Amino acid sequence: MRLQRRTLTGLLLATPFSMGGVAGASAQDDAALAYYRQARINWRQAEGQSLTIGLNKHPFTESLLPLIPEFRRLTGINVEYLILPEAEYFTKLVADLSQQRGEFSVIMTGPMRNWQYVPPNWILPLDDFLNNPKLTDRDWYKLDDFYPALIAANRWNGKTGGGVGEGPLYSIPVLEESYILAYRKDIFDQHNIKVPTTLEEMAEAARLVKKNAAIPGIVARGTPSVATVATGFISGLKSYTDGQWSELDDKLNATFHDPRSVKFAETWVGMVRDSGPPNWANMQWYDAMEAFTAGQAGMIADADFFAANYEDPKKSKVAGKVGYALIPAGPGGKPYAGLWTWALGISKATRNKEAAWLFVQWATAQRTLLNATVGYRNYNPSRVSITNDPRVQEIMGSWGGGSYLKVVAKNLETARVAWIPQPERVRAGDIWARALHEIYFQRMSAADALKRASSEVDKVLKEAGIK
Amino acid sequence: MTSRAVLYRGTVAKVAIAVAAAVLLVWTVFPFVWILLTSLKSPGDIISVPPTFVFTPTIDNYAALVIGERGGQYSSTRPDFPRFFLNSMIISIGAVALSIAAGIPAAYALARYTFPLKNALGFVLMSFRFVPFIAFVIPLYLLYQQLGLYNTHAGLIFAYQLITLPFTIWMLRSFFMEVPLEVQEAAKIDGCSWLGVLTRVILPLSMPGISVTVILGFMFCWNAFNYPLMLAGRQTFPVTVGAIQFISYEQVLWGQMAAATMVAIVPQLLLSLMVQKYIVRGLTMGAVR
Amino acid sequence: MNTTRRRRRWRRERLLPYLLLSPALVLLAGMLYPFGLGLYYSFTSYWLQYPNRFRFVWLDNYVSLLGEPLFVRALEFTLGFTLVAVVLQVGLGLAVALLLHGRIPGRSVIRALMLLPLMMPPVITALMWKIMMASTNAGILNYALSFLGVDPINWFGSTQGAIVSVLIIDTWGNLPFVALILLGALQALPTEPYEAARVDGAGPVAVLRYVTLPLLSPFIVLVVLFRTMDSLRIFDVIYATTLGGPNDATTNLQIMAYQYSFQWYQMGKGMAQVIVLLLLVVIVSYLLMRLWNRAAESTS
Repeated sequence: MRLQRRTLTGLLLATPFSMGGVAGASAQDDAALAYYRQARINWRQAEGQSLTIGLNKHPFTESLLPLIPEFRRLTGINVEYLILPEAEYFTKLVADLSQQRGEFSVIMTGPMRNWQYVPPNWILPLDDFLNNPKLTDRDWYKLDDFYPALIAANRWNGKTGGGVGEGPLYSIPVLEESYILAYRKDIFDQHNIKVPTTLEEMAEAARLVKKNAAIPGIVARGTPSVATVATGFISGLKSYTDGQWSELDDKLNATFHDPRSVKFAETWVGMVRDSGPPNWANMQWYDAMEAFTAGQAGMIADADFFAANYEDPKKSKVAGKVGYALIPAGPGGKPYAGLWTWALGISKATRNKEAAWLFVQWATAQRTLLNATVGYRNYNPSRVSITNDPRVQEIMGSWGGGSYLKVVAKNLETARVAWIPQPERVRAGDIWARALHEIYFQRMSAADALKRASSEVDKVLKEAGIK
Repeated sequence: MTSRAVLYRGTVAKVAIAVAAAVLLVWTVFPFVWILLTSLKSPGDIISVPPTFVFTPTIDNYAALVIGERGGQYSSTRPDFPRFFLNSMIISIGAVALSIAAGIPAAYALARYTFPLKNALGFVLMSFRFVPFIAFVIPLYLLYQQLGLYNTHAGLIFAYQLITLPFTIWMLRSFFMEVPLEVQEAAKIDGCSWLGVLTRVILPLSMPGISVTVILGFMFCWNAFNYPLMLAGRQTFPVTVGAIQFISYEQVLWGQMAAATMVAIVPQLLLSLMVQKYIVRGLTMGAVR
Repeated sequence: MNTTRRRRRWRRERLLPYLLLSPALVLLAGMLYPFGLGLYYSFTSYWLQYPNRFRFVWLDNYVSLLGEPLFVRALEFTLGFTLVAVVLQVGLGLAVALLLHGRIPGRSVIRALMLLPLMMPPVITALMWKIMMASTNAGILNYALSFLGVDPINWFGSTQGAIVSVLIIDTWGNLPFVALILLGALQALPTEPYEAARVDGAGPVAVLRYVTLPLLSPFIVLVVLFRTMDSLRIFDVIYATTLGGPNDATTNLQIMAYQYSFQWYQMGKGMAQVIVLLLLVVIVSYLLMRLWNRAAESTS
């Protein structure tokens, strides 16, 4: 048996398309590829083709890079990749997709981003690939191993205003991101501060932390861009309104000036102004996360998986001192946090569609994603089996003394994609965040700023022909 | 005025000047010092409050640039950095070479000949320097995609002419005008054609000026960020665009960014130290006309 | 026979300058096509994701700018920042040049070191300063200021702080340019006027006012020209630090055009904004160049 496999590998390596110049098959190589070879498909059916992959700089991509030679050996497909920080990545991606040049075959995307790419037909639905037995071994690939909510989030029927969870699947999630509250348990315990369960309690807790511990009570993203409103802020607002408020009504009119939204914005902005860091208006996600990790904040309501940083004893000054809780809820008592997944999709313009799918299948296979989580801190896992893996349980289970996993699980019961599907979601978010700046710097009242934001978004939607 | 008052005034003035010089020195040099220190710090030291001057240095950041480091403390992989460095070299040298090749005859024409449209053409050439880069980048990006020049060294070298060509012509013209007329006349009398005058008289006498132009042009190319941001891909990114890659999803790798910064300025540092006297002279000469 | 040869040579001589200029002109003409294309786009509703909504809209993009509050703010900031930056940089540059012109210890060392900021890509300079300008005492700059009894300055989180930060970073990078040009000019000045002034018994202030400054005026106008052109279009520093914020306090026309084109993909509108900026730059440069010509003539 073994001899046969060696000979076979030797033959494979002798083909002109093998990469790496490996002199002889090693047992390691076999073990690495053995898992994938269990799939009853011909991995080498796209041999010799080339792929370019567009990737956002992320632990997941970091985990993929060393494995790419493995992919080459498995399939004979040549892979080139381009990695950029998020803002530059999306600029380049949209430019390429719009020209349909096919520079990128496989792309890193996500539910809300897909809303921009699907109407102009820039990305491919993946169901055909999944259902093609020549390309996918569904039993081996185990699509149902993914958290159902994450797969649903990446489905869309293409209708503006709704339809998330229905229709074609446009991308495969590689991680789960939702939003919870992380707080300094040590400070809260020391000064008898109550863990907030409502928005007002949160503002009060922030004030108390600042008064008693002389550090900002809360830290949050604050740049005038969609990222600022898309994580903790909108989760808070959704929770505040028991999931009843949305940024667009059913006629696609913007509703930022809804009284509940105005009150929430007033309270939130007041909170960060009074108890937050001085440079809130320039804080990106990493500034906020680093501040909390360095012990310079009492609370942060943002991505759940940031906990990996908070709890890293090598870097964090607060490891072991962090408590986790749900985003404060509204009168109904349940939080409605937002949901995001980074996911892999395929550009319509690619010439090597099968090769692209093989890559996506390989990159999102259980073993690849497990390696990403265990070896490269790709959190939170998008596959159930990975979360249940003992190594992962050991790491994640230790966060917050075990409270982290419980909070995340509870949060996921009600977490869902927080936005109304439409192609200009990013623009709407940018406008909304700029309104927050007007409020923060007290150039406009919350009501005025949000009214103006609503009319600006209405104007954009009309110009774009969405309304 | 008593002599003591005069002496006092003189001393105060001297002290004031010395203090001013010291402030200028610190103002100019301190950021470099700080970045050098940051490049030698480990992540914990970098974000420590208050900032530390005393710490155990590490060369991990520099090592990460060249070999890349996977997992562990750093989100990995900067094996691209040597390539970015090479790209910067290729593109800058190529762009300057092209500018010099086209610039020498152009500057010669503007310096030594009078002809109709001279001022107009001169102004047009100069005006390219003043166009906001976005006016070019948007259409260039779209065009390059169609022409296949996107993400190529050639495409970038051509786009960089917007940066170096007007400047090169401007500078060279000033230097050529510096060459005394008598020497040129003498050469003409000896029977040289315009080419002879150019190659035998003007170029040799303007060598210092040409070197300065080349070096400054190289610097401008090296520092360009806006054009390669949109017109280059991974294979052709220069170090300026490469530097922003240290903003990862989970952390900003300040240490590696600082190390990359230090490495990125090395060529220019060496070049400018070699010719710093000429640069000052050259800047002035270029300014005179 | 002689006349034909002479006429042929005369014609060749007339064509020669144009031939010499042609490679450069060809290269730059190659740039005119994309520019023309961009100009064309500014009259259209080109929006990347909506290719089927592409129409020719004449001056709509330009006219709508007037009703856009962000445009007015950006215009104000573009002009205001340029004014302050140029005055600051040229004033300080002159002071530094005068300082280095005198006999101070370590003069050549300082002069050599002053080249360093010039060499840095502005983007990297901005990143460097961003590290130093953290808002609390974690930033080395605030830490140093705390020794002088100054409260931590909110460099990037407040509107005023952001403007000042951009100003500081831009000045740090460009002061050497101004200083070195003026220094070189100072060193090349003729000595006779100074002799005459000394003979007349003029004090240092008078010498400065009546001899140095007038002689330097063409160079001063020159650096004003260059710095103005660059300040009107400043981009890298803002991009790397504030990206136009907070609250659009540091948004100038080029940043605004970038946002419209590369964040929101409304290429048509973005190009219109850039063209407006270009017109601004052309007008200002024309005026300054005329000033320079006059200054250059008066001193020769």
